Amino acid sequence: MSGGVYGGDEVGALVFDIGSFSIRTGYAGEDCPKADFPTTVGLLPHDESAMEIDGDKEKKAGKTYYIDTNSLHVPRENTEVISPLKNGMIEDWDCFQAILDHTYSKHIKSEPNLHPVLMSEAPWNTRAKREKLTELMFEHYNIAAFFLCKTAVLTAFANGRSTGLVLDSGATHTTAIPVHDGYVLQQGIVKSPLAGDFISMQCRELFQEMSTEIVPPYMIAAKEAVREGAPPNWKKKEKLPQVSKSWHHYMCNEVIQDFQASVLQVSDSPYDEQVAAQMPTVHYEMPNGYNTDYGAERLRIPEGLFDPSNVKGLSGNTMLGVGHVVTTSIGMCDIDIRPGLYGSVIVTGGNTLLQGFTDRLNRELSQKTPPSMRLKLIASNSTMERRFSPWIGGSILASLGTFQQMWISKQEYEEGGKQCVERKCP
Amino acid sequence: MASGVTVTDEVIRVFNDMKVRKCSSQEEIKKRKKAVLFCLSDDKKYIILEAGKEILVGDIGETVDDPYKTFISMLPKDDCRYALYDVCYDTHETRKEDLVFLFWAPDSASLKSKMIYASSKDAIKKKFPGVKHELQANNIEDIRDHRELAAKLGGQILKVEGKIV
Repeated sequence: MSGGVYGGDEVGALVFDIGSFSIRTGYAGEDCPKADFPTTVGLLPHDESAMEIDGDKEKKAGKTYYIDTNSLHVPRENTEVISPLKNGMIEDWDCFQAILDHTYSKHIKSEPNLHPVLMSEAPWNTRAKREKLTELMFEHYNIAAFFLCKTAVLTAFANGRSTGLVLDSGATHTTAIPVHDGYVLQQGIVKSPLAGDFISMQCRELFQEMSTEIVPPYMIAAKEAVREGAPPNWKKKEKLPQVSKSWHHYMCNEVIQDFQASVLQVSDSPYDEQVAAQMPTVHYEMPNGYNTDYGAERLRIPEGLFDPSNVKGLSGNTMLGVGHVVTTSIGMCDIDIRPGLYGSVIVTGGNTLLQGFTDRLNRELSQKTPPSMRLKLIASNSTMERRFSPWIGGSILASLGTFQQMWISKQEYEEGGKQCVERKCP
Repeated sequence: MASGVTVTDEVIRVFNDMKVRKCSSQEEIKKRKKAVLFCLSDDKKYIILEAGKEILVGDIGETVDDPYKTFISMLPKDDCRYALYDVCYDTHETRKEDLVFLFWAPDSASLKSKMIYASSKDAIKKKFPGVKHELQANNIEDIRDHRELAAKLGGQILKVEGKIV
């Protein structure tokens, strides 16, 4: 008897979309998430300072978590950077809880028991983890109702497709997920680690080769403008705490990510040294003031996403480029539905915002699409939609008056136990 | 995953009338529906018959010249719909009539409309058992003319609605 409990369209539901790069959260029915903060958090394993200095931290079992951009950016001794996710699924439950606590108290600013929760999940999430999450939400947070949706299905729906191939390229992996009639075809999921983090790693190597030092802003006390290509002239902050390697690494990555977004571009045809040499250069200045022009590198680095064969340091090179991820996935699905998948290849995820990404993908796929089938790539022009489509989809769904009968209500959970998530949220 | 939107009895009745062919008089045949559109009710709770958006068999040759073309022109440019179309086509062996279920979600429709229609498609599809052909179309080019339709239906089709493919 879940129907009629919440009445009307206003159920005050919350939507959580948990990605490997950032967590999006906010009220259902709104156009975009209220908060979007890094999934990675700072962890101080044994907090000896008994004093509560700032309110920006969450404590769990003697550990202190520093969550959200501002808090994470403060240099602190012995604080490691960790992620609650592994392979897109929740792995560190203490850390995950700390993030939820933080979201409720700092962003939602309300009591968890007042709001139904719709959460997105990786399409390959395991049964044990789904049940554990359901249990956590009902037992610990005492929420009124819960629902779990696969990200790929939300993305397909938000693009007006109940059948399509969702290509999601995020931070940690690029995945092709076939969706048919609103359900994920599990046997057709293909994953590749060639994604945003891989590009960051390649940039890091480039800087090493060029002997460009990456200095994150937290170390810089003052800097002076220097000529192009000249050694930077900057002063290091004094009395910096002894920060951990993982934290410094994270801060460097943020610098690299900005470089990625500003400088890199995917070549529209397979990489050609001569073409790349004629590439217009882009001027980029590092936080420490070092500035120079980047030319051929702009195309060379992202090339690895599409053609991993020439990437240094990839052992054996069994990784699939983005085009192959799509064709392999479709090839593993029933022949009858392949035309429908080629006809709706939905491109989503932050990494696909790299300039030229969809053009190149379109070119590669049109060469591989069987002649009897028609290829169509769907990529929203709006950055917001590309990054947040699962959240926006969930927001619309959870705000529908009719959706109230779909939720797992607290009563259903109490009667049927955590197993009910398999039945209610297939 | 579904939205919880439900289908009205009228929709089911229209479907059954289109599917089941009773021996009927000429007058009754003329009143039979050739094509019909379904939309969401204003409160977004039900899938209903869209008033006035239909083609009757009796209209063909009278007010409607090319039923498929007219059907396509009834679809809104920037909103989603479901539709049933009773297609008549010729293969090498025989002339056939089949129901086609169409899910229309143009890329120019609002994200909200796309989300609701896509997540509710299962609800209406379940009420239409035995429909052989299901199409998903996201722009007018996908279904523009009788040739496109023939390609979607598959198999060796010579004519659609009497027109050579």
